[in-house]
Amino acid sequence: MARVDCSKICPEWPCEQPEEFKGVWVVAETDDDGVVEASLQMLTPALRIAEKLGEPVTGILLGPPGVSKLADELIKHGADEVIVVEDEALKDYYPDVHGAVVAELARRYKPSTILIAATSRGREMAPYIANTLRSGITADCTDFDVDEKTRDVLLIRPPFAAIMLAYIRTPTRRPQIGTARPNVFPVPPRDETRQGRVRLEKVDVPKPRARLVSRRKLERREVPIEKAEVVVAGGRGLGGPEGFKLLERLAALLGGVVAGSRKAVDAGWIPPERQVGQTGRSVKPILYIAVGISGAAQHMIGVREARRIVAVNIDPDAPIFNQADYGVVGDYREIIPALIEELEELKKRGPRAIEEILAEQIETAEPGSP
Amino acid sequence: MGLRVVVGVKWVPNTQAVRIDPKTGTLIRQGVPSIINPHDLAAVELALQLRDRYGGEVVAVSMAPPPAVQGLEHLIGMGVDYAYLFSDRAFAGADTLATSYVLAAGIRRVEEERGRVDLAVFGQETIDSSTAHIGAQVASWLGWPYIYYVRRAELAGDELRVERVIEGYVEEYLLPLPAVVSVAAKAFKPRDVTLRGKLRAKREKPIKVLSNKDLGLDPRCVGLKGSPTIVAKVTYLPEVPRRKEVYKPKTPREGARWLLRKLLEDEETRKVIVKSLWGGGSG
Ligand SMILES: Cc1cc2nc3c(=O)[nH]c(=O)nc-3n(C[C@H](O)[C@H](O)[C@H](O)COP(=O)(O)OP(=O)(O)OC[C@H]3O[C@@H](n4cnc5c(N)ncnc54)[C@H](O)[C@@H]3O)c2cc1C
Ligand SMILES: Nc1ncnc2c1ncn2[C@@H]1O[C@H](COP(=O)(O)O)[C@@H](O)[C@H]1O
Repeated sequence: MARVDCSKICPEWPCEQPEEFKGVWVVAETDDDGVVEASLQMLTPALRIAEKLGEPVTGILLGPPGVSKLADELIKHGADEVIVVEDEALKDYYPDVHGAVVAELARRYKPSTILIAATSRGREMAPYIANTLRSGITADCTDFDVDEKTRDVLLIRPPFAAIMLAYIRTPTRRPQIGTARPNVFPVPPRDETRQGRVRLEKVDVPKPRARLVSRRKLERREVPIEKAEVVVAGGRGLGGPEGFKLLERLAALLGGVVAGSRKAVDAGWIPPERQVGQTGRSVKPILYIAVGISGAAQHMIGVREARRIVAVNIDPDAPIFNQADYGVVGDYREIIPALIEELEELKKRGPRAIEEILAEQIETAEPGSP
Repeated sequence: MGLRVVVGVKWVPNTQAVRIDPKTGTLIRQGVPSIINPHDLAAVELALQLRDRYGGEVVAVSMAPPPAVQGLEHLIGMGVDYAYLFSDRAFAGADTLATSYVLAAGIRRVEEERGRVDLAVFGQETIDSSTAHIGAQVASWLGWPYIYYVRRAELAGDELRVERVIEGYVEEYLLPLPAVVSVAAKAFKPRDVTLRGKLRAKREKPIKVLSNKDLGLDPRCVGLKGSPTIVAKVTYLPEVPRRKEVYKPKTPREGARWLLRKLLEDEETRKVIVKSLWGGGSG
């Protein structure tokens, strides 16, 4: 590991040697249901980095008295230990208050790495933690690795063009801080036998300056696209908002939700929280149906965790066909209504019809290359 | 008395116009025009609405190369009162920490030259890097409270009442001033440039360009040198293996049947279809 020459770095930064820092942290976000899934997902890259560095994985848990009961959730999913700060003042979340507490813990324990899920709250708080520690932060990483020689963590993210990946290092500062969007990594498997240490820490919680005066739940409209098992997504090829009505019908039949490409969002056909891709959300449905979407790298980066991808596109040369499992070449205005009819028909016939369909020797069952 | 509101705006390549070279996979930046980051126009609109309602002034700040003056002129055309451009070769290659350092120092300079700043407004994120870092980092440098994703703001006594939507909740906060807020994407529809504004931009040139020497910042804290993160290398994204079965049907019906059959043959998708058509059970 290289020594940092203190005369060369910005005097606003504390001059510390990277070798003094050890341990990979995951800052856990909590809600009414416990530790949020996106935070548990961050244990996957944390475990990988920790293994390569030979350092432990530590979960960081902040909240009102009683929050320590959630520590077990982090341990069962792979954390070696959990540092908990319980304080009445941490009942309501403020990015600068929670951020300052995490930064104070980092000053005490000197972790080499801090990972934070890029949920809305994570996106709000993570840069505050990084800046308070005067360290670097890399947003929306899609992968992490370790440079064996320098022991720097490589924070990997698509730069301007998602087709490429930038490997980012933080050679002269610690901790190395990175975020990743929800659903970029899976939750590590739960191991009931795992044991870990829970440490209660006392930190002087700064008094919040902002004050939360009201909070009300939005009435749940649809399942958020990140949670859906089936996502039917439309792109510019739909030609207008009416196309989404058709996709809604297909999605309803399949128990799924609709989403869209950035061009569909920019055109105002579908709201921004339904955008899939690099600057939208990452989804991990079992089935992703892309309709009238060309398959740009910035879009496809949001569906890497989809189990199966179906593409419907009028252009046989559309790049999406190279990145899908099943592709149908044709006008969606014809293909999708036909698919809806087939599904409705199947629904009427009942589950036993599946065997009949699979047994049928229809000549169309042979895929012909376009 | 009114409010002095600073708005941070970034000068970004118009990603709508950026194309990728299909052979090399690199960006064709040539001839790509730059624009004010679209999300920042929503931030400018909020700032203008606050000024229109309570009086005071709106000051735009940007760290960018000299051509960004065009963008700032556009903002003056919209009704922004004054703009600062922090421009220096030494700022090149800045990551978000180094960028926020310059912007925070720039906001201090605005305070020295024009008077106390009550509020700093930022866009939700930029279209070229979309990190959403800068607002929180500037808040940290200045020691001001902050809140992201604001979609409504008004004065309540000497505090700012803001509303935002986060993780399925509508939240309302009271922020003591000075404070930093970032504005939710598309929360405010930016107004058009007026003829009067355009003329003012031309005649009065209410735009000040400051170099690093003017700001007096340590060169080790700005640009590439002041950036703890560095790009070590750039590679291709590994491909996800897919089946790539493509069918060109003679009729739509045939296409739908082919697809349905594929989805039913496939263990993974068949389960979902069974579940959604008839609920529970397995196929
Ligand atoms: C920094 C950056 C970030 C970006 N982030 C995102 C992101 O998060 N998400 C995202 O989606 N994009 C993103 N983009 C934009 C991305 O590069 C593409 O421009 C966008 O994904 C294209 O959207 P599209 O596929 O809907 O439209 P197009 O590329 O215009 O494709 C439309 C497709 O529809 C097909 N079509 C037309 N008519 C029909 C019909 N009747 N039936 C069937 N098919 C038809 C066409 O053959 C074509 O393939 C980003 C770009 C940049 C530079
Ligand atoms: N160079 C810059 N100059 C002024 N403001 C900026 C600059 N970069 C980012 N910002 C502001 O910070 C917000 C978030 O940017 P980012 O962290 O790059 O996503 C933007 O929407 C702008 O309001």
